[in-house]
Amino acid sequence: MTLFIEDGAPVIVQGMTGHEGMRHTARMLTAGTNIVGGTNPRKAGTSIDFSVEGESRQVPVFGTVSEAMEKTGAQASIVFVPPRFAKSAVMESVDAGMPLIIVITEGIPVADTAYFVASAEKKGIRIVGPNCPGLVTFPVTPRDPGMNLGIIPDGIAGRGPLGLVSKSGTLTYQLMSELNDIGFTAALGVGGDPIVGTTLLDALQAFEADDSTKACVLIGEIGGSAEQEAAEWAKSNMTKPVVAYIAGFTAPEGKQMGHAGAIVSGGKGTAQEKKKILEECGIRVGETPGQTAEIMRQILADLGE
Amino acid sequence: MDLYEYQARQLLIDQKIPVPAAIYARDSHEVAKAVDEIGLPCVIKGQVKIGHRGQAGGVVFCETKDDAILASERILPMTIHGHKVNGVLVAEAKNVLHEYYVSISVDRSSRDYDVLATANGGTEVEEIAKAHPEAVKRLHISPLEDFDLEAATDMAREIGFYHADVSQAAEILLDMWKVFKESDATLVEINPLAKIGDPDDESSKRLSALDAKISLDNNAAFRHPEWESFDDSLNADPLETRASEHGLHYVHLHGQVGVIGNGAGLVMSSLDAVAGAGRPIGDETIPIKPANFLDIGGGASSAVMAESFSIVASDSQVNSILVNVYGGLTSCKTVAEGILDAIGTIDFVKPLVVRFDGNEAAEGLKILKEAHNPHISVADTMEAAAQRAVELSRAQLNSSYQPRGGTQ
Repeated sequence: MTLFIEDGAPVIVQGMTGHEGMRHTARMLTAGTNIVGGTNPRKAGTSIDFSVEGESRQVPVFGTVSEAMEKTGAQASIVFVPPRFAKSAVMESVDAGMPLIIVITEGIPVADTAYFVASAEKKGIRIVGPNCPGLVTFPVTPRDPGMNLGIIPDGIAGRGPLGLVSKSGTLTYQLMSELNDIGFTAALGVGGDPIVGTTLLDALQAFEADDSTKACVLIGEIGGSAEQEAAEWAKSNMTKPVVAYIAGFTAPEGKQMGHAGAIVSGGKGTAQEKKKILEECGIRVGETPGQTAEIMRQILADLGE
Repeated sequence: MDLYEYQARQLLIDQKIPVPAAIYARDSHEVAKAVDEIGLPCVIKGQVKIGHRGQAGGVVFCETKDDAILASERILPMTIHGHKVNGVLVAEAKNVLHEYYVSISVDRSSRDYDVLATANGGTEVEEIAKAHPEAVKRLHISPLEDFDLEAATDMAREIGFYHADVSQAAEILLDMWKVFKESDATLVEINPLAKIGDPDDESSKRLSALDAKISLDNNAAFRHPEWESFDDSLNADPLETRASEHGLHYVHLHGQVGVIGNGAGLVMSSLDAVAGAGRPIGDETIPIKPANFLDIGGGASSAVMAESFSIVASDSQVNSILVNVYGGLTSCKTVAEGILDAIGTIDFVKPLVVRFDGNEAAEGLKILKEAHNPHISVADTMEAAAQRAVELSRAQLNSSYQPRGGTQ
């Protein structure tokens, strides 16, 4: 399926010249992503040499996002800029009218995220993340490349009928791996911060609208109520089955479990509460990633997939 | 990061929000001096980052200096709901005529800021919201807009502040907003915001913030060097401190199975798997629980893994360790090297169960196998690894643990 962006569309990387940016640009190029530039005002006019399957690929560095868009027609930006500069980097893309901005950076102050998410929303721009692994899509035709935008390793799974959305990176990889014989239409990590641009609910809506997706995996964790909101919507709007996994049943009150958003506060946002509401909305919840994959297999078997 | 009341109060004072006179004291000697300055009667309030301290005996009204000293001697050594009391606040006692509740927080669902207030303050706002939802007023502030005096005045009216209090309440709401924005807070709560004074003297009546709770956004610490003064060494866990010095996410959970993994979600999931496998079965009486949360992050080096391992292994309650890595960015080979580096430098005689999947999993397992360390075993799935780590932990508790002949 295509998710938020056409397959093969040109994309740029903000923060491409940094350590993480270089590493993942190289990886995304190898995965077939059409990366047409990076930005860094101090290195504008230069280019970076990436080796893609033994061949040299020159990726130009532009001074600004607008210049990169003008010269390349980029339709998305992937942001690897460190937390203290992330707000201005994302706002640069928002102001330039970049249609899709994927923010990988972890550790951005929530006030900065609230600001750029609200600014993007006002202009009809989609933000994925922050603190997320990005997204991968698998094309309907096996020969075409899909999109690999972010840090999700290529090759964990192939194409198939499942849509996956998750708050966690490694649990995304884990479930993709458990279900790699069945395959995916797309997998999206929405991120583990308290405020994110694209929600679990947004992803379910996209999967519901996509004909090639037959069932969805939803991976949640403690903190907030994004899982409950997605489930309430799915209950009355979703025709496709959803199987969920929730992490953090053993998390104590008031302790941040790695992700900035993964915290039970004032007794709210517990895994127990999420499981209960999801089940009330007709979503089956696995106790472990393995069991979640098993439930999905049963459901697909019942659907005759 | 949550602040103590005495710290939160200072942020309110900085924005000129009225508070009663109070002095922070760490021992009864300081309390005696503080009482001389504050006067009587006074309130001795244990400083602790948890609610319901009043019910737990952590807040005492005192008529005399002796009472105040005695109360502080009782409160200072207390641990309330697992939190050690860190000093007391000696506060001027006020005649309370009415209690309001006001808070500003990040609203995760609407992705903006939420001003919450009620004229029925004093208790937990959740309880009020349940019993009298109509009494709780809400106002959303867009991250793109500011909160101004006009909006604050409308809000104060709507909340139901008494006519005479509206303008003072509006100013306080606006000042709270300044505290919230300037301090990168995720929560600023005043409860109660009390109307105090002599019931017979209208001119003496005014609003005062009798208690405050503030949480700060850890991610914003880089632009707040002043937060260093909020470091809480009394309640800091030494292992958590050590881990954070190395930039690792570690949470001490005080169980028996140490857990290390990559990615917050996968580590939480591993904790759940350990707790699930550790439920007492048959005549077992002790549940086996995870000892900690430790995320080595994406693309961890062998040095990061080695440090992580030695932190977990140094927890004396830990009697088995589970390493669960799904190699995306992270190479399982690098993780294996880190484990062996750590084992080489510490005297490691506890069982370790490793589950690798993804990037260089086979290479990582090979390295571990070639180490021929009798304490290391491997498992194919997270569930099996958790089960094995729990069994080994239980065997240690029963003193029946036997290292294996070699790695399988």
